[in-house]
Amino acid sequence: FVSYQVEILDWKTKKQLCFLDKVEPNATIREIRLMFHKLYPQWYPARQSIKLDPKGKSLRDEEILEHLPVGTTATLYFKDLGPQIGWTTVFLIEYTGPLFIYFLFYFRMPFVYGLDERFTSSPHPVVNLACICHSFHYIKRLIETVFVHRFSHGTMPLRNIVKNCLYYWGFAAWLAYYINHPLYTPPSYGKKQINFAVIMFLLCEAGNFSIHVVLSDLQRNGSKIRKIPYPTKNPFTWLFFFVSCPNYTYEVGTWISFTVMTQCVPVGLFTLLCFIQMTIWAKDKHCTYLREFKDYPSLRMPIIPFLL
Amino acid sequence: MAGSGSGGSRADNGYGSQQPRRRKGPGALATAYLVIYNVVMTAGWLVIAVGLVRAYLAKGSYHSLYYSIEKPLKFFQTGALLEILHCAFGIVPSSVVLTAFQVMSRVFLTWAVTHSVKEVQTEDSVLLFVVAWTITEIIRYSFYTFSLLNHLPYLIKWARYTLFIVLYPMGVSGELLTIYAALPFVRQSGLYSISLPNKYNFSFDYYTFLILVMISYIPIFPQLYFHMLHQRRKVLSHTEEHKKSE
Repeated sequence: FVSYQVEILDWKTKKQLCFLDKVEPNATIREIRLMFHKLYPQWYPARQSIKLDPKGKSLRDEEILEHLPVGTTATLYFKDLGPQIGWTTVFLIEYTGPLFIYFLFYFRMPFVYGLDERFTSSPHPVVNLACICHSFHYIKRLIETVFVHRFSHGTMPLRNIVKNCLYYWGFAAWLAYYINHPLYTPPSYGKKQINFAVIMFLLCEAGNFSIHVVLSDLQRNGSKIRKIPYPTKNPFTWLFFFVSCPNYTYEVGTWISFTVMTQCVPVGLFTLLCFIQMTIWAKDKHCTYLREFKDYPSLRMPIIPFLL
Repeated sequence: MAGSGSGGSRADNGYGSQQPRRRKGPGALATAYLVIYNVVMTAGWLVIAVGLVRAYLAKGSYHSLYYSIEKPLKFFQTGALLEILHCAFGIVPSSVVLTAFQVMSRVFLTWAVTHSVKEVQTEDSVLLFVVAWTITEIIRYSFYTFSLLNHLPYLIKWARYTLFIVLYPMGVSGELLTIYAALPFVRQSGLYSISLPNKYNFSFDYYTFLILVMISYIPIFPQLYFHMLHQRRKVLSHTEEHKKSE
C-alpha cells in the first residue's frame, strides 16, 4: 500500500499552492478538489480546473489518482475558472427574462410605444395568440429546466450569463416590439396562415418535449455513462431514426411556425440565428456520438433528415 | 474601420500588428497563391497611391481627389473579402471572425457610406481615410509578400509596426468625419430605411444605425490601438528571431 503525495501548482506562475501528504491511491479528483477547497475556501470545487499539464484539459471529477500518468508524487496544475453559476440557475434567468419582457410590450407599457398608446390592446386576434404561444414556449422551457433536464456539466462561468441574457432578452424585446406595435400588420394569408402555423407550433412543442423526456430518461440514475437515444412508442420520437438531435429540429420548427404566424422579419432573423446555433450544437453532438459508439445508426444526420 | 489580416497574423487590424506565426503554415500551392494575391494587392494600392498623386498634381488642389481613384479603390478594397476565405480555409492562421469584422467595416465604409451618399464624395475627410488606407495597405501587403518568401526587410517590418501610430488615428478620423457628413443626407433621403406599417413588420433607420456605428468606435479603437502599441514593443525588440506571441 503506497500513499501518494500530491502537489498542486499554479498553472501560470508554477508556484506551489498546496502539498497534500498521504493521499490514497484510489482518491478521485473530486476528493482532491475538496481538499484543495479546504485550504482555499474562496475556490470552491466547481471553480477549480485541475490538470496534468499547465495548458492541458481539466481533469474530470471521476478520474482516479493511481490511474493517471503520474508517479507517487504527483504534480497537478490549478487554474481558477472564475465565479461559476449552476446551469439550472442560468436557464431560469435566461428564460424568465423573455417571458416578462414580452408582457411589457403586449400590455403596452407607457414607455414602450409612447403615452398615447399606453395600455391599449391590439385589434388583431393573432397578436393575442402570439403572446399565448410565446409565453407557453418559455413556461414550458422553465418547467423542463426544473423537472426534466439533467445537466452533464454542473456549472458555467458567470460572465457567460451576461452574454446569454443580452442575447435572449434583447431578441425577445426586439421581436415583441414589432408584434405588439400599434402599426402591426397581420399575416397576408389571414386565418389560413395563422391556423396552419399554430398547428405546426403545437406539434413542434410536443415533439420537443417528447425528445427531452427521452433524453432525460437515458440518465435516470444520475449515471454519467452516455447512451444512444432511440425512438420509443411515442410517434414524435420517431425522428430519432433520421436525426441525432431531434430536440433541436423541433425547436427550429417551433420558431419557423412562430415566424409564419406573426409574419415578422425580426422573428425570422431570430429563427435563422437559432437555426445556425443549433446546427453547430447538433453537428458537435453528432460527432461526439460517432466517436463514442461504433454501432451508431448510420442513417442519422445531425439536425435535418438526410440533409444536414 | 480598420484593415484586415492576410498572409499570416492574428488580431491584425491592417494598421500594423502581430507578426506571422511559424506554425505548419500553408502548403506550397497555397503559399504560391498567397504570394500572388499579396503582390496583386500591393500593386493595386500602389495604383491608387499613384492615382492620388497624379490627380493632385494635375488639379493643383487636394479637394475631390476621390473621383480619380474611385474605381480601383472599390475594386481592391472589395477584393480584400477574399481574406475572409483565406482564414476560413485555413491557409492563413488568423481568426475568421476578426478578419471578417475588419474587412466588412472597410467594405461598409467604401460602399454603404462613400459610394451610397454621393454628397460626401467631395468631403476632405474621404481623402484623409483613403490616404491612410493606401499607405497602410501598401506596407501591409508587401509585408506579407516578403514574409511568405521568408525575406522580410527590416524597413518593411519597422514601417508596419510604426507608421500605424499616425495612420490609424488618421484613418479613424477620416472615417468618422465622413460618416458624420453623411448623416443629414441619409436623414433627408431616408436611404436604406424602412418604416412601419409594412407587411413584414420590420423597421430600420439607417440614420440611427450610422450613429451607433460611430459610437462603436469609442470602445473598439482604443483597444486595437493599444494592442498594436504592445505588439510593436514586442516585435521590434526581437529583431533577430520571431518569437511566438500569445
